[in-house]
Amino acid sequence: MSLQTLILCRRAPYGSALAREGLEAALASAAMDQIPDLLFSGDGIFQLLDNQAPEEIQQKSLLRNLQALPLFGVERIHICQQSLNRRGIGVDAIALPGLELTLVEDTGALIARYQHVLSF
Amino acid sequence: MKFSLVVYSAPHAGESAATALRFAQAVARQGHQLLRVFFYADGVHNGSALPAPPQDEQNLLRPWQLLQRETGVELVVCIAAAQRRGVLSQSEAKRLERPAANLAEGFELGGLGQLADASAHSDRLVTFGGPA
Amino acid sequence: MALHIVNQSPYRSSALNDCLAAMAGGDALLLIEDAVYAAGMTPAALPMEKPIPAETYCLKADAKARGVSVSEKIPQIDDDHWVTLCVQHTPIVSWF
Repeated sequence: MSLQTLILCRRAPYGSALAREGLEAALASAAMDQIPDLLFSGDGIFQLLDNQAPEEIQQKSLLRNLQALPLFGVERIHICQQSLNRRGIGVDAIALPGLELTLVEDTGALIARYQHVLSF
Repeated sequence: MKFSLVVYSAPHAGESAATALRFAQAVARQGHQLLRVFFYADGVHNGSALPAPPQDEQNLLRPWQLLQRETGVELVVCIAAAQRRGVLSQSEAKRLERPAANLAEGFELGGLGQLADASAHSDRLVTFGGPA
Repeated sequence: MALHIVNQSPYRSSALNDCLAAMAGGDALLLIEDAVYAAGMTPAALPMEKPIPAETYCLKADAKARGVSVSEKIPQIDDDHWVTLCVQHTPIVSWF
């Protein structure tokens, strides 16, 4: 029996509306008691960086959406290790209280466990 | 088999919305059930009745409406994404005090829960994304 | 086994490379829209970091529309065949 839905987040925050709209979809799904798993990959890992100040460009913080995930029952997120490496980002640059961070080496094996993958 | 589709691109923005329509038509042609097409992000523009492309250019609205009538597929436009982009039903236009409504016949506004529901109740979920 | 669908030119976007890095053995790949440029006849000119998998397809209409001569190793399929691929694979993962 495969897991239900993996939400794949590949967009950097603020430059693309899909970053926010992906997280909103994740929160809405969790609010309906369909807790999705999330994988941050590619530029999506930029969503996770600490020290964002989007008020500088009159945008709402995406980190607030991420911080809301545990309130809706999402306890951990998956992060693509290779994407971190390629961008020279250490996992210590990511501080999301209440969320367990799982580093993924083999993305293909992770994806294979799901019935659906919803890409953003 | 039950299919649902998710569309993120506006009809005039590139090929993606047209690809989604062709795929949806093929799903129906093959005798599968099309449960829902969920229009999200810039994809909500597919549900606008207002675009007026030149006669010799593709117009996706009519074929979506035809597919809806023929198959009963739900064409759901995400209400939150649609409000941001100005795709409004009569009641939404009134409630938000906007001068016009433009949600096309055959389309309905729905919440993001409809996307989660499509995921839970479909055998296959296919995402059609644009470049943005 | 998953079906991965890519719609971006490999020269413009990391979508195809990201997809190739995330594929498991036995997964299938479908190139649509601008990704059909990755199905061309001159593999040496392609910017992919990994070879495309054995089971790679290309959407025929998109290739024809763009005048792309598709490598004979890559089957060109129509929309109906695409639906069949979706029936045969799960999950379906789009990269754009």
